[in-house]
Amino acid sequence: MLKFALKNMAIKRVQIILVVLSIVISAGIGVLAFNVSNQVSDGIVSNAQYYSLIIGPSGSQTQLVMNTMYFSEEPLGTMPYSVVANLEMDSRVNQVVPFAMADSYNGYGVVGTTSAYLDGKTIKEGALFDDKQELEAVIGYNVARYNGLNVGDTIYTSHSAIEGDTHEQGIKVVGILNESHSSFDNIVFTQLKTLWHMHEHEGEEAHSHEICAILVKAKNPGVALQIINEYDGKHIEGDNDKDVTLQAIEPMNAVRGILKDADNTKYIVFVLCAVILIMNVMIISIITLLNMYHSSKEITLMRLIGISMRKINMLYIIQNGIIGIVSTLLAFGVSRLCLLFMNDYVSQMGVVLNMGKVYPLELVILLGVFVISILPTTIWTLVMSKRNAQE
Amino acid sequence: MIEIKNVTKEFQNETAIDYKDMVFENSKSYMLLGASGCGKSTLLNLIAGIMAPTTGSIVIDGKRMEELSQRERDKFRIEKIGYIFQDFKLIEEMSVIDNINILNIEGIDTQGAPKLLEELGILDKKNAKIKHLSGGQKQRVAIVRALVKSPEIILADEPTGNLNFAIGEQVIKELVKASQGKTLIAVTHDERLSKYFDFVIDMNEITSGKRDVVSEEGTKKC
Repeated sequence: MLKFALKNMAIKRVQIILVVLSIVISAGIGVLAFNVSNQVSDGIVSNAQYYSLIIGPSGSQTQLVMNTMYFSEEPLGTMPYSVVANLEMDSRVNQVVPFAMADSYNGYGVVGTTSAYLDGKTIKEGALFDDKQELEAVIGYNVARYNGLNVGDTIYTSHSAIEGDTHEQGIKVVGILNESHSSFDNIVFTQLKTLWHMHEHEGEEAHSHEICAILVKAKNPGVALQIINEYDGKHIEGDNDKDVTLQAIEPMNAVRGILKDADNTKYIVFVLCAVILIMNVMIISIITLLNMYHSSKEITLMRLIGISMRKINMLYIIQNGIIGIVSTLLAFGVSRLCLLFMNDYVSQMGVVLNMGKVYPLELVILLGVFVISILPTTIWTLVMSKRNAQE
Repeated sequence: MIEIKNVTKEFQNETAIDYKDMVFENSKSYMLLGASGCGKSTLLNLIAGIMAPTTGSIVIDGKRMEELSQRERDKFRIEKIGYIFQDFKLIEEMSVIDNINILNIEGIDTQGAPKLLEELGILDKKNAKIKHLSGGQKQRVAIVRALVKSPEIILADEPTGNLNFAIGEQVIKELVKASQGKTLIAVTHDERLSKYFDFVIDMNEITSGKRDVVSEEGTKKC
């Protein structure tokens, strides 16, 4: 039966290839869109959950989150380091990570922080910098790769991209991060002291020690809210006696806001997928109609020589089943392949796509497409095979 | 033995054929002669269980066909009857052997096909697609498909209809030879072929086939 089904399929290979392509494109795009949008959402949320709160100068919450977690926006401004010192003495806090972003190295951003900021990141070569030292750097995978840097090399950062604006003081590379397909691959991390040192030694106006933001892990969500309430809107004395107004935010809330905007885009993608799916059904129906004449002749012929309706149904169900299974498996494979290509793009958002991640709804989509795709032919076959042979 | 008893067949366009009672003996060959529309092919379809009579009975080896279910009639047809259709009923895009092996779907053993193909002189076409064969070759494939399951009854509807006389005669000779020991009922227009059959039934003598009639006892070959 299977052998005959395969031979019969070989005869109709052009139509079958069209059906398979149609299913692969529609199901593949649908599954890919769903998977990527969910993995990105999950990834962003997961990153945002790492810290309980972020404190920074007042301004856009989104900008503060995007700057401190994905390095994709400019800092909102600066605030005195004394806030860090106060938080470190706060018994409700587990971890305080200061964050400053200034200068660049060949276009790659330079972040001044503590080694705690790199918790969970793995080192490819060398080691993390020593928080008590200065002028040491751990560089992202791409920074090392595209600048030919190794552990022990010295880099010179600059205030801007303008030539001649480079700091005279060099920073020694002590470690290189493993590739993470995230924005961490494109950053130079150094001690806060290094950034302060650069600016103090080059005749700049004397600054007290300043930072751009503070990432805080509170002991529990309750105290996190307390701290947010205490610091949000708080006025403190900044550089040159200028008051700085602080904002304290829960990263998850800010991310939810970002994702809400992204959801609109997601819905557009889903609508497009639905349109493709409808087109898929139409294409398959048209192909089925074109096959009707051929199939009806074939079924009549088999009935005339005495092959039972049950066997004919089984034959076509096997054929349609093979088409459906091959198509949906191919659609799934193509969607995973596309994930691989999309990884670099979404890594800018600090998310690494997991090739093996399969959402239950993806399986539902694939099953739905499978059923929709084989249904017209199966119904037609059942109707045909039930007609008497003489018709 | 095939018995036709008080059989009539009505069609949707209100034409009808009445068959007189007749009997086809086992292991004999019968030739049905007659003009188009007089009910020759219908009779074959009734015997094969493809059609059901409107009234009357067709009894084969004591079994009343009208009492069988559709599934039983299918089973009977695939196991006991080899039917050679006028238009061959072959899948054009498939090879000769695949057209015969289609019977495997119902568990029919087709291992004897190469021998039959050889006997009919088309073994070398075993893997050729039907669409690349001549009419005579296609007819031989249809014969092999009908005979490969060693049926007890062979029905042949105009087996020479698409062939010239020389090839048609050759096909009939081969068919009769291959049907030794089986009941063969063949429909044909060509009286010249009657010498190869045990009996000839001239259905023309009875009516036009449209209401009132058809058929009489088999006329012994002259």
